[in-house]
Amino acid sequence: MTAVLAALVLLPLGGGALLLVAGRARPALVPALAVGAAAGTLALACLAAAGRPAARFPLFAGLPGGLRADGSAGVLAVTTALVTLLVLVYAAGDIGGARPRFFGFTLLFAGAMLVTVLAADLAVLLMGWEVMGAASYALIGFRWDDGARVRSAATAFLTTRAADLGLYVAAGCAYAGARTLDLDALAAAPAPWRDAVAAGIVLAALGKSAQLPFSFWLSRAMAGPSPVSALLHSATMVAAGAYLLLRTAPLLHATGWAAPLVAWAGALTALLLGGVALAQRELKQILAASTCAQLGFTVLAAGTGAVAGGTAQLVAHAAVKSLLFLCAGIWLGALGTGALDGLRGAARRNRVVGACFCAGAWSLAGLPPFALWATKDAALAAAPWQLAAVGVAASALAAAYATRAARALLAPLPPAAPAASAARDARAVPAAPAAPAAPAAPAAPAASAARDARAAPAAPAAPAAHDTRDVPAARDARAACDAPAAPDVPDARAARGGAVRGGALRVLPLPVLAVASAGAGLSALPPVAGEWRRVLGVPGERGPEWWEFFGTALIAGVVAVLVGIGVPVRGAAVARVFGSQAVARVFEGWLGLERGAFAVVRGVRAAAGGLARFDDRVVDGGVRAAAAGARRAAALAARADPDPVVEAVARAFRALGGLARRPQTGQLHLYYAQAAVVLLAVVLAVALAG
Amino acid sequence: MTELLPELLLLAGAVAALGTGLAVPRGRQWTGAAVAVAFLLAALGAAGWAAGRPDATAFDAFTVDTATHVTRLVVLGATVPVVALAAAAFHGHPRETEFTVLALLSSLGTILLGASSDLLVLTAAFLLASIPAYALAGFAKDAAGTEAALKYYLTGALFGIVTLAGTTVLYGLGGSTSYAALHRALPAAPPGAVAAGAVAVAAGLLFKAGAAPGHFWVPDVAEGASPVAAAYVTTIPKAGALVALFRLTTEVVPDVPQWPPFLAAVAAATMTLGNLAAFRQANARRLLGYSTVGQAGFLLLPVVVAASVPAARAALLFYLAAYAVTNLAAFAVVVATGRDALADYAGLFRASPALALCLAVALLGLVGTPPTGVFVGKFLAFAAAMRGGYGWLAALAVVNTVASVFYYLRWLAPTLAGRFGPSRGRSLPGATACAAAVAAVALGVLGGIVR
Repeated sequence: MTAVLAALVLLPLGGGALLLVAGRARPALVPALAVGAAAGTLALACLAAAGRPAARFPLFAGLPGGLRADGSAGVLAVTTALVTLLVLVYAAGDIGGARPRFFGFTLLFAGAMLVTVLAADLAVLLMGWEVMGAASYALIGFRWDDGARVRSAATAFLTTRAADLGLYVAAGCAYAGARTLDLDALAAAPAPWRDAVAAGIVLAALGKSAQLPFSFWLSRAMAGPSPVSALLHSATMVAAGAYLLLRTAPLLHATGWAAPLVAWAGALTALLLGGVALAQRELKQILAASTCAQLGFTVLAAGTGAVAGGTAQLVAHAAVKSLLFLCAGIWLGALGTGALDGLRGAARRNRVVGACFCAGAWSLAGLPPFALWATKDAALAAAPWQLAAVGVAASALAAAYATRAARALLAPLPPAAPAASAARDARAVPAAPAAPAAPAAPAAPAASAARDARAAPAAPAAPAAHDTRDVPAARDARAACDAPAAPDVPDARAARGGAVRGGALRVLPLPVLAVASAGAGLSALPPVAGEWRRVLGVPGERGPEWWEFFGTALIAGVVAVLVGIGVPVRGAAVARVFGSQAVARVFEGWLGLERGAFAVVRGVRAAAGGLARFDDRVVDGGVRAAAAGARRAAALAARADPDPVVEAVARAFRALGGLARRPQTGQLHLYYAQAAVVLLAVVLAVALAG
Repeated sequence: MTELLPELLLLAGAVAALGTGLAVPRGRQWTGAAVAVAFLLAALGAAGWAAGRPDATAFDAFTVDTATHVTRLVVLGATVPVVALAAAAFHGHPRETEFTVLALLSSLGTILLGASSDLLVLTAAFLLASIPAYALAGFAKDAAGTEAALKYYLTGALFGIVTLAGTTVLYGLGGSTSYAALHRALPAAPPGAVAAGAVAVAAGLLFKAGAAPGHFWVPDVAEGASPVAAAYVTTIPKAGALVALFRLTTEVVPDVPQWPPFLAAVAAATMTLGNLAAFRQANARRLLGYSTVGQAGFLLLPVVVAASVPAARAALLFYLAAYAVTNLAAFAVVVATGRDALADYAGLFRASPALALCLAVALLGLVGTPPTGVFVGKFLAFAAAMRGGYGWLAALAVVNTVASVFYYLRWLAPTLAGRFGPSRGRSLPGATACAAAVAAVALGVLGGIVR
């Protein structure tokens, strides 16, 4: 069984590395090979989850490394492998160029995620964690010829990377305090070390899972291709942080402070990022914000000790969100816009895609009987009433943003939809004829160019073009400066009039994920929930009462109906809900988190600059002054050449040398005399001293 | 008998080499050296094998323990390059094999000196180690060699008699010559007399080690005797003598309060005299002779604190091994170049980079530059002295070390510039020098890693 574990980790890692190195030789074969490797990984993951193997191997002196597929690790491994397989199938029909790079990095990423999930100790976890972070940078910045995307990738990478430092602190403190890096033994570390370990882990996990205050990087990460978003921001990467918190829940509870902190961070993320999702105008941004919010429930569950509920939420969310991202990717490719306005009626264009999207949105809204309705309740089951109240409010917001997105996408198709869309956007173009930031090559369609033109600061007339909708004027001007991410640039096929290449491959994974996002909720519902908890090793955990299920379903239903029948909840409505347009803008701009982070960075840079100047002028200056003084003194001394001190020492030693050679006369009788005198003196001395 | 296997092999090697030398014609006398080296290697193997076995005692007078193992390995290992150097230096000499036989016998006495735990065996070993060495010093039968041999012999006679007198005194006080019995009996004896007797016994050992006041012969022999003989007598007897002093300190007089101060005074005087006197030497061998006196002072540091600091044994044994290979490397360069005056070494670096590098390794090694073995040895020895409460001695040793840089560099610096005169090409001594230099560095690196 250990071999299964090794193969499970090595197959995607080795396959990914091989594709990266040798894939260019046969690019046409790359997708098939990658899908084959992912299928093999899925089979191995299922075997591992069934057999629950554990392996230990020598890593450092006195610190063995370990991998194990017990409980939640096995469940997450299967989830990761399944989503990877489906995303790769989708990508086989979606990614046109640089396939070896895309598929290689995706497999490498999946392998690193599997290492992270299966790791039994902090050292192995860190290895997987780091490779995963690096691969995520390569994937988000996949279209590296676009500077904005690469900058977005850097922002996402550096943000998670900064939080990752916490994991190093945790590993160091765990070794210092407990002489072990075993994840299960961390809770037993002595007090000050245990707190430091918990703090480091919480920091790294909140950063990786895009919880407050790190959420903004997920918005920037939307710059990656849709399959990347579907993989990174559903079942992997962001899930890793929440998963780590679930795994170390005993440690969080042992410290006393970390568990409530984590629970509140999750609850506030669920609530505030729900508001952010509601205020977004881009489909992928809505999905990104809702990812933060939904993971907030898992983090809350980790903080309250609802491990089974949190894991169920993690798995169900992975299915739902990868489905929604893949649907969004199809429309982005076909219509060339990610804006909700531009996607009106998109769900009616292809019935399979539309139906699958609706299933995902239904689940996301928390409406029964789909998955997230039940798992969310299970995640909230162990929360005290204050947290539960925040959670219920957050689930009401989830119902609102999911319904809002679905409503826009299901809206009746305007006559000759693509033309109308282009025409509507074209109306905006005259306001800024010299669109400076048009990111795309000549192939970019009018819609995108127009949107960017609108977004340029020199487009004051733009709102007039939108007067039929309640778009606040300021939002358009704002989009250029702090739009969280550049929208997907549609590639050439979109310009060819929406012809979808590889359509079947791209649609194939959707029904599978739709079924999963409907059915994954079974793990939280009474008949299956008991078995689920037994698998996860927490048989005694309490599930939600029947009235809790009923109550959240009722709330979600009411909200969904209100939004669905047309109570306006786009920007203006958010403004009404939260009191003012300024507040709405804050929510649309992801709470200004990125600006805050950059302010912190600027502050740190300023402090560093100040310290560097201090170092240059005072510390280094002192050294330089001392050196200059010494040189001047040396110059002075050199004038008195030869140096009198050196000369004196040399003279003294020369004299001593002569003195030392004096006994060595070369005459044997003098040797005899000296030796005899010395020996006699010594014998007398020691004898008398005794 | 297995306890004495290396010694027996060494004795057999001497006899076999003598027989071979008698049997083969002069042109093929080198076969005697080859036989001797074969037996030395066999003895080394036996010593290595014995090192893995439990401690033992033979005839109640010959202790086989870690100190003995290391003494065997150092003496046998150092005798191999000396035999190689002699085979090259005395090739075609009428008494070529005699040198090898005498060296092997003296080495046997040196090992016995380090291993004996009985005063009478100690004196016998002293004689066995010394008498062949006197002959070695005068081996060339030239005026300088004869003078050196005579000085060596007469000084040895004086100190040997003092050692015998000390043995007599301790026997009278303790009723036995066995270390164990003496250790039991001496506390009851008059302390002044015990101390005087022990100092008298130590006199002969100080003579073998080349430490004050028995150091007078060292520069004269180093300069007067043939270079190979000088290399032998300044290197190998030190190992046996210092281990014997170590045994005396730990097994006979660990409780005599005057003993460590006496040794400390000897160490201080030895290192200071040796280093200062080396300052203005123009003769490489005489300079090396004084340098070995200085090194003897450093080597005495762990012996001073042997009774109170357990780490002193490891320090002494490691330092001895490192000193042996480093000193032999320096003498091997002298043999290879065949030059005595420091000025003649000008331009060596251009003429023969390998030899110059060996010389640099050897001389900087004797200073105690990392990563050579002597650095580790000095470090351990100084640390042991500090821990034993002899901080002042360690400080004096550091000052002496710094001062010693001067005269070693006086030799080394000219090699970098100038023209090297025409020289006889000798490959075996050069190879020996390289091997010894590599060993000196390897010991340092390995010692650093094992620590």
